[in-house]
Amino acid sequence: MKLYNNAVKNPVGTSLIFIGIVLIGLMFYRQLPIDLYPDIDMSMISVMTSYPGAGSDDVEANVTRPLEDVLNSTENIKHITSRSRDGMSLIMLQFEFGSNMTEIMNDVRDKVDMIAGFLPDGVEDPMLLKFSSDMIPVMVLSATAKESTNAMYKILDDQIANPLNRIPGVGTVSISGAPQREIQVNVNPQKIEAYNIGIEQIAQIISAENINVPAGNFDVGTQTYLLRLEGEFARSNELNDIVVGSMGGRPVYLKDVATVKDTLENRVMENYTNGVRSASIVIQKQTGANTVSIANAVKEQIPILMKNMPPDIEIVTVMDTSDQVITSINSLLETIILALIIVGIVVLFFLGRWRATIIIMVAIPVSLIGSFIYLYITGNTINIISLSALSITIGMVVDDAIVVLENITTHIERGSRPEQAAIYGTEEVSLSVIASTLTIIAVFLPMTMVGGFAGIMFQQLGWMVTIIITLSLVISLSLTPMMTAKMLRSTKEVNLTGFDKWYQKAILPLLDKLDRGYAKLLRTITGNRKKTIGLMILIFIVGAVYSALTMKTEFMPQSDNNDIAMTIETPPGTRMEVTRDAGHRIERMIKDKFPEVEIVSFSVGQASDDNTFAAMQDNGPNIMKYNIRLSKAKFRTKSIFDVSDELRIELSGMPELHRFIVQPGGGNTGMGGSNNLQVEIYGYDLDATDQVAAEMKSKLEQVEGLRDIIITRKDYRMEYHVEFDREKLANNGLNMASAASVVRNRINGLVMSRFREDGEEYDIVVRYDEPYRQSLEDVENILIYTPTGKGVRVKDVGRVVESSSLPQIDRKNRQRVVNVEGSIYKRALSDVVLDVDKVIASTDLPSGVQMEISGSVEDQQESFAELGLLLMIVSLLVYIVLASQFESLTYPFIIIMTVPFAFVGSLILLAITGAPLGIMGLVGLVMLVGMVVKNGIVLIDYINLNRERGMSIITAVIHGGRSRLRPVLMTTLTTILGMIPMAIGTGQGSEMWQSLGVAIIGGMTFSTIITLILVPALYSVFGGNGVKRNRRKHRAKIKAVEGVESDTIEVANA
Amino acid sequence: MKAVMITLDQAHYAQIVDDLARLNIRGFTSWKEVSGRGSKTGDPHYGSHAWPSMNNAILTVIEDDRVQPLLDYLKKLDTEYENLGLRAFVWNIENMI
Repeated sequence: MKLYNNAVKNPVGTSLIFIGIVLIGLMFYRQLPIDLYPDIDMSMISVMTSYPGAGSDDVEANVTRPLEDVLNSTENIKHITSRSRDGMSLIMLQFEFGSNMTEIMNDVRDKVDMIAGFLPDGVEDPMLLKFSSDMIPVMVLSATAKESTNAMYKILDDQIANPLNRIPGVGTVSISGAPQREIQVNVNPQKIEAYNIGIEQIAQIISAENINVPAGNFDVGTQTYLLRLEGEFARSNELNDIVVGSMGGRPVYLKDVATVKDTLENRVMENYTNGVRSASIVIQKQTGANTVSIANAVKEQIPILMKNMPPDIEIVTVMDTSDQVITSINSLLETIILALIIVGIVVLFFLGRWRATIIIMVAIPVSLIGSFIYLYITGNTINIISLSALSITIGMVVDDAIVVLENITTHIERGSRPEQAAIYGTEEVSLSVIASTLTIIAVFLPMTMVGGFAGIMFQQLGWMVTIIITLSLVISLSLTPMMTAKMLRSTKEVNLTGFDKWYQKAILPLLDKLDRGYAKLLRTITGNRKKTIGLMILIFIVGAVYSALTMKTEFMPQSDNNDIAMTIETPPGTRMEVTRDAGHRIERMIKDKFPEVEIVSFSVGQASDDNTFAAMQDNGPNIMKYNIRLSKAKFRTKSIFDVSDELRIELSGMPELHRFIVQPGGGNTGMGGSNNLQVEIYGYDLDATDQVAAEMKSKLEQVEGLRDIIITRKDYRMEYHVEFDREKLANNGLNMASAASVVRNRINGLVMSRFREDGEEYDIVVRYDEPYRQSLEDVENILIYTPTGKGVRVKDVGRVVESSSLPQIDRKNRQRVVNVEGSIYKRALSDVVLDVDKVIASTDLPSGVQMEISGSVEDQQESFAELGLLLMIVSLLVYIVLASQFESLTYPFIIIMTVPFAFVGSLILLAITGAPLGIMGLVGLVMLVGMVVKNGIVLIDYINLNRERGMSIITAVIHGGRSRLRPVLMTTLTTILGMIPMAIGTGQGSEMWQSLGVAIIGGMTFSTIITLILVPALYSVFGGNGVKRNRRKHRAKIKAVEGVESDTIEVANA
Repeated sequence: MKAVMITLDQAHYAQIVDDLARLNIRGFTSWKEVSGRGSKTGDPHYGSHAWPSMNNAILTVIEDDRVQPLLDYLKKLDTEYENLGLRAFVWNIENMI
């Protein structure tokens, strides 16, 4: 029993099965997590190793290089980049996308363990960290306060962070920018010198006094008691009364030599939101958690939590990724609904029957909703890729149903009863429906196997489309015939409604006229087929040349997500207070000049040591990081790119700034945002590469469309070195380590004990009071006690010298590198690359220095190569599917001839709309291969049919073309018009899909016109050749037979 | 007794079998999916790509007086759905068990 036969005979079962699929799909849809992108493994591992006290070049030579050498042999590695800083080495390993990261992580761990024993003494164990997209915060809140500023950390930690952490799915909630409480013991050096006490001694005494000791159990009578010694300070002012030494038989109290302050730590990163000191609350999610539901839960919780907070604390949202998710998803949903309506109108226009339209439209929701079952089972999310798959296929899922329905209608019109017509009508077209679905699958299934970044992006798209199209095929072979059998009436029973009458009067004559016109055109074409083909080739060449000349390429379209990030530096060594003032000026400037800005927040200062995330980014007293949030895209006229460009102009007018980068799209969006370009300059000699970098920078600044040109190598930093004289140290019984730690304890401070209150611990920091550590003399006058108890000054055993050093050495692929980077504004990537290539060619390089271009270009080249390969594979597969269906090599060739025309059409439309060809556009081209051949299949299939029915080639072509015009136009128009909402999309995040929509619309339109003209012409030429060849063969055979006969006669005569 | 051989487009099959009972004809033999072509007009029924439709054949052996009503019925059906194709042929039965 065949599928459609069964379906028509069992209408109840069939309809209930599909209702069941829809119900399960809807149920799963509700449970599907929503996210912006599919789960993307960032394929990055970092190895962080600290080597306290070593300079950046020591770190490079002794830690980074040995580690890089051994890590370089890891499988699937793409790049190794490293930063060697004072005391720290950070190696980033970038692997090929799609690698098995668990396996690689083990491999990396083994390699690091192997080399760890060979690293110098004093190097701490390397720390491994795997990056994932889950590390990107879901939300960043900012808390501002007036009176409660000092207690902010504790308030936020207790009353916001802890409750939020209990929300299911929340990974970590961390607070930064709020200073923590600290007990400072600020020592007066003159006084301790007078009493002969060292800072170390004070710290040890504090630590010895601040202690609780259990003293064991003891029995009193019938009871057992626990004995405890409670020495811990209950209040911070108890510190004042500790005895730290004695002088002349009288005790010296701590208050005699130092002031104890219960205050806040002072060297921290400070955050400001809209000009007010603030603290950031960063919320990260657990792997696989639902971004939107977390963000919603947080937004629900905040007002409840706020009730218990001091009234002066305010909390605003600085960043909310769920916002972007929701708006992107909503705009895609709008696109889908719009496409649904358009497709409905097109179907009604061509069929003119309500019932038929409903039958076809049912195929859309059933196949789309069915695909949610796949998403749920495979643990995927609803994201912009999976939803776009729906929006792309919406015009294609009706195609099969249309072909089936059209043929069944023909049967009914011939007089069959609907039930029989449904079965036999479906049977007739089932093969060609299956074949055209196979061509679509031949395009999308290979898409799931592409490697690299593009592969990650399009894997889900490939699966979704394959599943939706397969489902639509099943529907067209079961549900559609079943519904037709039940709903369509045979011609005699039809009652004409008002709509039918209007349709027959207004629309039908139009369509008939179109058919006649096309038949006339076909007669001309078949009459002048050589000329027609020549004309088409001419159009193709002109189109190809035009598009080749105007074609611009890019990597990913830039999308406006309302965020701008800036990194601004004042000259190296600038005090944090000075930088902060500049920061406030910038903020006021932004507020005054850019009314579309809603929130400006910035952080300034050195990140504390325990903040790993911040420590991996650039930070320092002269570095400010800005996050600017603009109002929603539809409420403003300037895009983030325009605002960014104006910001650059404003910033370049501020002389106190050293350099700045403005990143539209924010710093950590991963995709979208702005395209960038890097010139990598490799070379060991720092001076030589610096020189080349400076030259490149000034040259690149001349290139049109490049902004924010910066050199990534850090500037040399002014610093003071304490150079001890080893001999003098030795004479005093000291060594380098002991002398150095003395200096460090006095300037940086010594933490040996912690003050405990309410279950929280606060550092007790002992160091010189601030006025005594502000000049070179203060350092020189530091007193070092020798083992014999004698004190020597630093200036007696060494000297303090001024010098400069490179704070960080960057390497890539085991070579020192300087990057000259820029971001691109309002110009296609390919144009900028052309100019930059010229600049590179015109630059003379010193020996040992190489230069390379990278950045978005590199990703683009990689993705284009992958997609180019995909394009070839897909074209071959489609040809194979066609050839096996037609059991011929010629007809598929005619059909595939329309594909290059489709490409030209896409490129021309892209050029006209001014959109460059990015990976999205390229994917559009790949899809076109499967989509444009559909028309050819329908046409050639029917012409062949006519010939088999005994028509001559020309009649078959004209008759076939005329009767297939409507189905071809209908399926093409549903596809093209279904794409239009995507191509002109205005919603947030629509930029990404625009070029895909434009490419498909251009390609489909152009190729359909060409198909309708070129395919008949080519068919009549090839078909004619086939007939002539057969005739020649036939004649040859006759001749041969005659020849043999005459030979035999001659032989007989002889 | 007469034998009536009916060759019909398979779209007719379900209805004709239904209606045979109504014409008081119980016994018949049928062949599904047979192919053929009419002598004058009509599309061939080959089950091929070009001519996808197929015929069925029904052979029924009936009393002489039932033949005419059956033929009348078939004639009416044929004129009603001219495009589908329906033919009937009658011949004598010599003997039977």
